[in-house]
Parts: sequence; structure tokens; C-alpha cells
Amino acid sequence: MRSTTPPKRKWTTNLVTRRGFLGGGAAAAASGVIGVTGGAYAAGAVGAQNLETFAAKRELSFRGNHQMGIEADLQAVTNFIAFDIKPTTDKAAMLRFMSLITDDIDRLSRGEPVLADPSPELAIGAARFSAYVGFGPALFEKLGLQAQMPTGFGRLPTFKVDQLQDQHSSGDVLIHIAADDPVVLAHGTRGIVRDAMPFASVRWVQSGFAHTPGMVPPGITHRNLMGQVDGTANPTLGTEDFNQVVWIEDGPAWIQGGTLLAYRRIAMQLDTWDQLGTPSKEEVIGRKLSNGAPLTGDKESDIPDLAARHPNGLSVIPEFAHIRRAAPASPGERIFRRPFSYEAGISTAGSVDVGLLWTAYQRNMDNQFIPIQSRLDELDLLNKWTAPIGSAEFAIAGGVLDGEVIAEALFS
Amino acid sequence: MRKFALILSSLLVLAGCSTQVEVQATDLWVKSSEMSTAGGMTAVYGTLTNNSGDEIVLSGGQTTLAGLVEVHEMAMINGEMKMQETEAGLTIPAGQSIELEPGGNHLMFMQLTRDLLAGDKISVTFSFTGADDLVVDGIIAKPAEGGDEEYHSSETEVDN
Repeated sequence: MRSTTPPKRKWTTNLVTRRGFLGGGAAAAASGVIGVTGGAYAAGAVGAQNLETFAAKRELSFRGNHQMGIEADLQAVTNFIAFDIKPTTDKAAMLRFMSLITDDIDRLSRGEPVLADPSPELAIGAARFSAYVGFGPALFEKLGLQAQMPTGFGRLPTFKVDQLQDQHSSGDVLIHIAADDPVVLAHGTRGIVRDAMPFASVRWVQSGFAHTPGMVPPGITHRNLMGQVDGTANPTLGTEDFNQVVWIEDGPAWIQGGTLLAYRRIAMQLDTWDQLGTPSKEEVIGRKLSNGAPLTGDKESDIPDLAARHPNGLSVIPEFAHIRRAAPASPGERIFRRPFSYEAGISTAGSVDVGLLWTAYQRNMDNQFIPIQSRLDELDLLNKWTAPIGSAEFAIAGGVLDGEVIAEALFS
Repeated sequence: MRKFALILSSLLVLAGCSTQVEVQATDLWVKSSEMSTAGGMTAVYGTLTNNSGDEIVLSGGQTTLAGLVEVHEMAMINGEMKMQETEAGLTIPAGQSIELEPGGNHLMFMQLTRDLLAGDKISVTFSFTGADDLVVDGIIAKPAEGGDEEYHSSETEVDN
């Protein structure tokens, strides 16, 4: 029992200073100014004394027009958690569920424990904690809310490449949590899942990772476990282009400022992939492994020249190459990808169970993800070494301002 | 923006306060459990800070949720730490805070007038000796266990 404690907010106030100090780095990252951002990582800018808490004190903003953790550089570790609601959970219960989760995310994003946290000592820093909430097609059906379904949202069609497993697929509610520290992630996950239990049961959890802070400058595309630079040609964070691709502007009030997520668990067959030489691997994708540049260019940002041919007449970027097949057929046919890697085990024969927790964020799945995936389904040599083994769709509610609850307009 | 968020986090408290903020309540929550049903009981937890220059005492409270509200403290009873009502209330020294927490001091609600469900939000009036009443709205019901709670209350035993 503590009879007296120092004012709790004092420590938080301290964060204000730290955050303001690092704010320049975050702003630079959002605008894609990589060179400037890199400077924020230098010991001179942060101070040697603070380096050990550098990751802990970085915060992402929870309140705003959009939910957090989408228009943001990848964090180090993540949990995608899908829930199925209980038969007794109605609209009113969903609103109470969201009230609890909203408060939890608000606190965790500041590095604070949730209310009633049995282990508040684990709240050691924000570490760019983020969480957002989305809803699957089944939820709308269960609650009779079909009229609130966003345009261009529904169950994905079956693709030929699909090898979907129920244990990795579907779900009524998604809570996607991420942070730059595994302990922060685990602690935040516990708090959020605990508060979900009166309303829902866990359907699946998919855990993944990207680079830890400091491994690559913000804004730099991460590498997947096949070695490829993965996420090139994404719209740049903080731009109007990003808004156009990702954030929904019309439709039911609750989805305005939100987005649609096509989620795919994509397994990689590294045993056979590793048998290929570098030139073969590069032709499968159409990009160089060294820096992600298209085979017709020198750097990652170069626009692929799909018409370029070798002297022998063959296309430099082959007809079967992933980037040729994924290239938009119309200007609006684009998605924002934010893929984490997963590693789920190693067989006795030494085969690694790895792949991507692949995400496509967009305004309209009918116009964006589905046409792209349909082309890849017809022809993409990469399909030989990758297979979707899980799939789900979630409509991500818009952001919350002060005093608001996530998806309040949907469940009120 | 940061400061803005901090101010708003205390808004619930300020909204229900008289002009002078003598007592500040932060991180308040109420427990929802299998016991927090109509006729049952629950408790409120959080931090109360005395911003005045004089000692004040949490003497009780009111809420439409409960027919009976008591201030409970931890006490050694027959060699065991148990919770019981304190007639004298809980003293908050000048400029200091007290924690209301599971397994510790708390504001006990008995004879609940309705079921308290996870995620419900309630309003509570805290009463003090030496300070004005403090009305706090929007206190959220958290599904919570823990704190090794064992109650020792004559009222509770009679009513349950």
C-alpha cells in the first residue's frame, strides 16, 4: 500500500520535452526526408546518456483523423489479433468494448499502464506503441449492420494461389498492435486482450517483426526474408498521394478517415528459393536484390521501364516478373503495403516456417487490391515460392478525437 | 499538442469540480466482475491528490449505482490483512496523494442498484472533510480480478 505517491503526470510531462526534441525526426520521416531523419539517430543529437531510452520515449499520436499504426514507419514487433464476438455481444456491448479499448490504446500509446493494470511496472515506455481496430464482414452480418458496410468492402474472392487455413483466416474484430520493443508489445497485448474477453474470444494471433529501431533509417524500405526490398512504390507517408490511396473520405460516418485492410499470411518456400542464383531471383521480382532498383534502373526509386528489351529482344523485366504483373493497369489501382515478417518455427529437417504478415490498405478493395491480386493470380513467377495461407478483410474505423470512442458512430 | 492531451486527460475531473481544484482525481476506474450485479458490490480505484495546503479526509461518496457507499482501508484483523470500513475516512495530507487500489484502500459500493457491465461509465461524487465534493463523470468499468481481495465488512456480510 502506498499512502503517498509523487504526482503521476510529472514523468509524463518530462516526455513532452523529449518528444518535442525528437519531433523533427518524426516529421522528416513522415515527409520521406531520409537524410535529415538519419541525423536524429546520431549520438550527438540524442545524447549518449539518453540512447538507452531512445526507443522507449518515442511516441506515435493516438488522437487524430485516422487511427494510429498505419501511416507510420514499421515498428520492430507486432501482433495481429482477430476476435470473434460472443453470441451475447450486441451493438451496445460493442460500444462498451470499444470504450475500454480506446482508453487502453490512448494510455499505452503514451507509455502508461492501462487502468487496472496488474503489472503497471511493465509500462516502461511508449516505444512507438500503436494499435488500431477493424471489423470483418461477419461482424456486420451478426449485428445486422450490413447497411454500414463501406463501399468496396466484403469477403475477398478465392484466388487460384490460395492455400488458406481457417486457423489463420477471417475474424469479426481485428486489433493490430505494434511497438519497437517486444516487452512493450507483450504487455500492451495483455491489457487489450484482457479487456476484450467480456465481449469476444480470440480467433487467431499472428506475430511478426521488422527491423529494430536504428537498423535502417525511417522511410527506408525493409527487406523481407527472401532478401527482397519489400514495399517499394508505396505512397509516401504524409502526402496527398497517401490520402488518395488509403484514407476513405465518404460513406458511413464511422468509416470516414478509415481504410480497408486486405490481410494475407504469405508463406515463403525458402528451401527452393535459396537454390536460385542472384540473377534468377532478380528476374522473378524484376528488381535488384542489392538495393531494390528495377532491373532497368540504378536506385530503388527509379521507375521500372517495362518496355525495355535486351539486344536479343527479350524484356529486361520479364513478362512473368512480379513488379510487371503488380503494376497498376489504371492510375487508381494502387495500395499501401506495410508487411511484417513472421517466423513460426523450424522443422526437424531444417525447413523454416517463415513468410509475411502482408497488409494492403486502400479505399476500395474492388478497385485496388482485387484487380492487382487477380493479375498476380494469373501469372507471377513469385507464386512458385510464395503461397497465401491466411486471409482476412477488415474495415478500419476512422480516427478518434478527444472524448470519442473508436467506431462510436457504428455502434451508437 | 502534447500539453493539450494532458489537460484533456484531467478534463473528467475538472468538469465536475468547483472553481477551486482542491482535490484532483486521476486514473479512476470501477471494477466489473461477477459480483458487480444488481444487489452485489464493487469498488472505485484511482489516485486522489490534495492540492491544498491543509489536510483533507475522504469521508464517503454517492453514486446512483449503489445503495451504500463506504470508505474501506486495509487493516490487520486476526493476523490477516483485510479490508474493512473506516469510520474516520482516509486522510490525504496537504500536497500529497493517496492510491485507491485493489488490495488496498478503496471506495466500496454495496447494494448495487443495477448490473455494472464491463465498459459501462458511471458518475461518482467523492465527499471530503475539509474540501468540497468532487463529482467525476465517465469512470469506466474495467473487467478486473486480482489484488488478493478479501472483504471484512459487517454490512457486506449481512447483505450477501
